[in-house]
Amino acid sequence: MGAWLNESMTWGNAFVLFIWAVVFLLIVLGFVTYAIYYERKVIGWMQLRVGPNRVGPLGLLQTVADILKLLIKEDTIPRKADRLLFILAPALAFVPAFAVLAVIPYTEKLYFADLNVGLLYYVALSGITTLGMVLGGWASNNKYALLGGMRSAAQMISYEVPLVISVVGVVLLSGSLNLRTIVAAQGDWFWQWNFLPQIIGFVVFYIAAVSELNRTPFDLPEAESELVAGYHVEYSGFRFAFFMLAEYVYVYAIAALTTVLFLGGWHPPAPFLDFVPGLVWFLLKFVAVVFSFFWIRATFPRVRIDQLMGLGWKVLLPVALLNVFLTALYLELFVK
Amino acid sequence: MFNVEVNGPFVAFFVFAAIMIGGAVLMISLEKVVHMVVSMAAVFLGLAGMYVLLDAEFAAFVQVLIYAGAVSILMVFGIMMTKHNAAKEPVRPLHETLAAVGALSLFGLLFYAIRQTDIPETGAAGAGGAPGAVTDNTLAIGELLYTGYIVPFELLSVLLTVAFIGAISLAKKEAE
Repeated sequence: MGAWLNESMTWGNAFVLFIWAVVFLLIVLGFVTYAIYYERKVIGWMQLRVGPNRVGPLGLLQTVADILKLLIKEDTIPRKADRLLFILAPALAFVPAFAVLAVIPYTEKLYFADLNVGLLYYVALSGITTLGMVLGGWASNNKYALLGGMRSAAQMISYEVPLVISVVGVVLLSGSLNLRTIVAAQGDWFWQWNFLPQIIGFVVFYIAAVSELNRTPFDLPEAESELVAGYHVEYSGFRFAFFMLAEYVYVYAIAALTTVLFLGGWHPPAPFLDFVPGLVWFLLKFVAVVFSFFWIRATFPRVRIDQLMGLGWKVLLPVALLNVFLTALYLELFVK
Repeated sequence: MFNVEVNGPFVAFFVFAAIMIGGAVLMISLEKVVHMVVSMAAVFLGLAGMYVLLDAEFAAFVQVLIYAGAVSILMVFGIMMTKHNAAKEPVRPLHETLAAVGALSLFGLLFYAIRQTDIPETGAAGAGGAPGAVTDNTLAIGELLYTGYIVPFELLSVLLTVAFIGAISLAKKEAE
């Protein structure tokens, strides 16, 4: 797959790459559809409810029906909104969400872009989405949307810093920013994967990731009890769908990134289990991470805005810095 | 003079150049401040694309991370707290002429300096200019930063820390 990208760009190759991108987009859309279904089911079971069970067998078509409803809804743009930015913002939020997926390696052979700064590419592009959300909130010309947008900006900036610093330990251990090299550098046994040697980094990364995803307990940008709906309160129809899509694509992206950075990517937990294809192991770990996000959403209350900022700057950032320091010390004393 | 080969990087160069120049012109001509920030973000993204064309991926994505991401958001964030009514600037011909002269002479100076500088072909990067033949630029940058340029690097860190603490103390003073 990645070999296609290194060939010279002819019209034929461009067409093949385009087709692959479309196929991949469809896979991601399929994931988002069933992630929403799965989330509603899981949360339902955890709260002793049944969850969606009316549309289709076992309610499997519920999300499809919801998406259809969103797409045929009237597309409203408030008269006093900043029209241009209002239209631009959902695209600005979604495009980076899809673009970051290009650097995720699934197995040794199945990957898209083999970028030597893959990790940096991921964190850099995901920042643009925040810009889209803030602009959406501002362009709506609505107090709640503006508040939601401001909160989202404050939160994303505060948590992006520990998120990036927490992975520095992983980068130090594997000596590369290339996600494929990072997976390859993790050992065959499951205790050699980065989540144990980098346990501090892993915990910081996980908390910051949940916060970057704007999910409970950190879903302040769209806290429905205080802000109606947050930055997308004025959006309807397919523009709203774009924002929601961006959020769920980031669930996919962060879960895949966690798998790649900390859970050994396509490696089986023990060497004798390698008769199972790497993709299966990747998917199992990926699904486990996604499930943990839903689990957290079902069981935690929302934090207050001051607690959120305090946690980000006073706890996660120093701990992430300490982790970098300890990792560097370990490498200097025991490895060199 | 015009015997250039039309290939991928050549087209990409002009696309990025168009994005950058378009963004820069819009930045000056638009009236709402938030629109200006968005067009400036477009310039930053175009610049990042240029870095990618030059095989400097690290600089490119740091550019996206810091400028297109963090700086733009910070500016939008600051602007949102102020009034955002579009205001017509009064026309000042003398001022504008002087600014144009200044900008053109700066361009001339930079252009002259770049044309005069003999840029050596160093390192293994881009051997033969073949695309895909790039070695690990990031590693090379890191090694240089922490060996040859360690003192300027640390001084810069101190400078940034000082600015950071200064900003906090200014904000605190105003809050009291």
